[in-house]
Amino acid sequence: MLGIPTGSPGVALPDDRRKLVTRLIVVQYLVVVVFAVLALAFWYFQVVQHEKFRELAENNHQRTLGLRAPRGVLFDRGGKILVENRDSFVISLVREHSRDIDRTIRLLARVVGLSEAEVRDTIRKHRSEPSYRPIPIVEDATLAQVSAVTAHRLDTELPEVIVERVPTRRYPADAMAAHIFGYVSEATESQLAHDGLHAGDVVGQAGFEKIYNSLLMGVDGARRVVVNSLGREIRTVEEVPPSGGRRVQLTIDYDVQRATEEGFKGMGYAGAAVVLDPNTGEILSYVSLPAYDPNAFAAGIDRATWASLNTDALKPLQDRAIQGRYSPGSTFKMAVAAAALEEGIITPDFTVTCHGGQDFYGRVFKCWRKEGHGTLDLRHAIEQSCDVYFYTLGKMVGVDAINKWATRLGLGVKSGIDLPNEVTGLVPSSQWKLAKLGEKWYPGETISVAIGQGQVSVTPVSMAVYMAALANGGKRVTPHLLRAVDEGNGWKPVPAPTDQGESGIKPETMAAIHDGLWMVVNAGGTGGNARLQGYDVSGKTGTAQVISLEGAKALKGRTDLDLRDNGWFVFFAPRDNPQIAGVVFTEHGEHGTNAALIARHLMETFFAKKEGRPLPVFKPPAPPPPKPPVRVTTPATVVGQAASRQPQAESREP
Amino acid sequence: MFERRLFYHIDLLTIIVLAVLCALGVMMIYSTTHNGPNSTLYVKQLYAIAIGVVAFGVCLAIDYRTLADNSLVFYFVVVVLLFGVLLFGTTGGGARRWIPLPFFAFQPSEFAKICVALTLAKFFDESRRGSPSMTDLAVGGAITLVPFLLIAKEPDLGTAITLLTILLGISFLAGMRMRLLGILLVVAIVAAPVAWRYALKDYQKSRISTFIDPELDARGAGYQQIQARISVGSGGAWGNGFMKGTQGQLRFLPVAWNDFVFSVFAEEQGFVGVIVALGLYLFVIVRALETARLAKDRLGAYLVLGILSAFAFQVMYNITMSAGLVPVRGYTLPLMSSGGSSMIATLAGFGLILNVRMRRFTN
Repeated sequence: MLGIPTGSPGVALPDDRRKLVTRLIVVQYLVVVVFAVLALAFWYFQVVQHEKFRELAENNHQRTLGLRAPRGVLFDRGGKILVENRDSFVISLVREHSRDIDRTIRLLARVVGLSEAEVRDTIRKHRSEPSYRPIPIVEDATLAQVSAVTAHRLDTELPEVIVERVPTRRYPADAMAAHIFGYVSEATESQLAHDGLHAGDVVGQAGFEKIYNSLLMGVDGARRVVVNSLGREIRTVEEVPPSGGRRVQLTIDYDVQRATEEGFKGMGYAGAAVVLDPNTGEILSYVSLPAYDPNAFAAGIDRATWASLNTDALKPLQDRAIQGRYSPGSTFKMAVAAAALEEGIITPDFTVTCHGGQDFYGRVFKCWRKEGHGTLDLRHAIEQSCDVYFYTLGKMVGVDAINKWATRLGLGVKSGIDLPNEVTGLVPSSQWKLAKLGEKWYPGETISVAIGQGQVSVTPVSMAVYMAALANGGKRVTPHLLRAVDEGNGWKPVPAPTDQGESGIKPETMAAIHDGLWMVVNAGGTGGNARLQGYDVSGKTGTAQVISLEGAKALKGRTDLDLRDNGWFVFFAPRDNPQIAGVVFTEHGEHGTNAALIARHLMETFFAKKEGRPLPVFKPPAPPPPKPPVRVTTPATVVGQAASRQPQAESREP
Repeated sequence: MFERRLFYHIDLLTIIVLAVLCALGVMMIYSTTHNGPNSTLYVKQLYAIAIGVVAFGVCLAIDYRTLADNSLVFYFVVVVLLFGVLLFGTTGGGARRWIPLPFFAFQPSEFAKICVALTLAKFFDESRRGSPSMTDLAVGGAITLVPFLLIAKEPDLGTAITLLTILLGISFLAGMRMRLLGILLVVAIVAAPVAWRYALKDYQKSRISTFIDPELDARGAGYQQIQARISVGSGGAWGNGFMKGTQGQLRFLPVAWNDFVFSVFAEEQGFVGVIVALGLYLFVIVRALETARLAKDRLGAYLVLGILSAFAFQVMYNITMSAGLVPVRGYTLPLMSSGGSSMIATLAGFGLILNVRMRRFTN
């Protein structure tokens, strides 16, 4: 029937009738050919290219929405929450769903209260991404913004605008411990290329968040939804829930950390402090000030805040505890003492008579006490911080022995702390000078080194290691922050990192140094501010010039640099069987005695907490310390250089 | 008027196939509208089919020769109605096509096709035998031109063009010289750029240019074409199942119950369904061609081919468009797309075709 008949057989058709039949047959052929071609075309699309079109249809109606995994919560050593997550709202735009992007931008800008230019700018930044990926326009949106958008969306006015709830980091208020935590933000392009991350992943960019990112990050989930042609969700096809990052316990003690920061703020100083358990290296408190607010990064930092953090003369982004290099001043004297005793050059009973200054290699080096200290042995020289005594030891011991023992105590080397970008301090040696400057070491240079000036520079964290080693009898512990990890079945302690080595210092040497340090605080020394009845605090103040006396005079009134001295206080307590050791460094703190006040407060807090007493309240000294000048532009790194420019630095220890 | 004997010559096969196609149409209309604001559209379609069956019966019962004798009356009535549309018609989708009646809107252009076919068949039947003269062609052209212009003015260029296929079909059958056909073809090719420059409206131009490159306007005119092809392709060999196609169900295809009903059919019923539907359409077309061949007189053959030209052209264009292979034009798929006037007129047209077939033995 569908075949092509050739007319009724046996009947002779008239001419025109035959012509009509012929033409009908032509039409029939045409129709059959067209239908055959159509069948072929449908076969091609539906059978041959089916897979491609099936995918296209799926892309049409299915969206995969990322479900961000919350990062692991951080706890202090007592189980108190330090860093957790909160829900924040992100208002995003899906270009693919937009029929009129200009209108959308106009409406969205008006609804959320941004300028059109800002919105366009944000979209431009993401223009190379696929158009189905939401572009975050407002991160951490306010409830008012969210409700405005939701209201409009219900009106079908902005179907391409979506509001997502994402877990966002919440750090403690007042930027507490900011330099421990660091901050998180979306992975940068180079991170995407190297670390197997996905675009939009939030990763640690500094501090603990960076070092332990793989522990904390978790695995994002996804929700596949069916949407209609307007981009509205119809139903969920499948949902892979995100799995959060690991819960992690830090070695930090919240209250000690807090006390340390209160101390700095009460005194009005910038600076750094590292306090640890001298036996294990567990960090109890870790401060670098000024700090930044990591919360500002968590939900996407705005350009102005970022720029101001970067250009701030006080360098809030610099972690002074591991990245600042400063002259240690008198706190270095224990290393010199250790060198002299260990090299067998003196005994603790070796005496020197101080007349307020002495000639070395044809040049007079002054003691901080003009009238002199008279005759002292090693213990009293430490107690009084007599410069002439240590000039003499330096001359006797030589720079290379000082370098050897200082290094064994952890100075001038990396501490190995579990934080990124630690820098190394410098304890000079003749070899170093030859390699670095191609010059021979002059014995005269050793004289300033012996009192922690000249070329010597240290990081606060290395000072903490140094004090821990002096406290524990010579073991160079590795300071660390990670205490335990919860893999899903309770806290599992993380073994402490291995020690950096044994200094090999004899107990007699230690005992002599301990005596001196105890006397600094509890007898007639400069550390009286740190005295705690019944705890035998041992410590040492240090005051380091940021510039020589002559230089300071010359510049007086002609610079807005803050030229006040840096103050140190290094300590451990109790003297026998120490439980806490550390360093408080106050930038332009004028004198180590001020730093000692902060140290006292944190130690008092530590012991009060341990013994279940009420925690102390920090009381700044009666006349409040002068406020730092409004404009302070001495970058921390310049400090060491400023001091080293002056080979003949004088100690200014009162 | 209706002899008992004629009853046995009614082509039941064609009627069955038409019924199956109508049923498929209702099914697809239900599938594409059940979850939207037009969810009762399939009921309307059922009413239209009911009225269409009546029209079919009427067109079958009255001898086509009697109807042809009165063709000028029908022609005149349709022209008046088309004028009426331009004066009082209701607007939808940017065109004025409908005359509002108490229960439904009536679209005279659909009926213009039958009337023009009837009038042209009668005219060429009465003209000299052999090849129609230039005068004949000119008169035939004039008969077509009046409703053509009225419909094009609505504007509904698509339906207007189907009138030209009727003219072409009947004059071809009447023996128009092939040379003339060739000349017409050349003129059309030459006229195309001129028409592009002067005659086409911007939206028409954009439809054609986006056909050539749909991505040019992936959210506008090209969108439908892309989505249509995705719908067809995603159906695969066996289809996604009734009411399970995502393209149609989630409204990625606009007016899926109308212009793109076949795309959704292909999505839900797959290549197998497409072959069945193509086969059914091919069957009624070839069966009608056979009717033209068997027709007792030239009038019958002309009438059948006239009606069939419009039908076949629209079927082929719509199905080709369903696969995104020709620019999107507002051609509905006769028998399957939703649309009352189209359904009634199509069934009436088949009434006439079966009329010719049924009376092939009478004198």
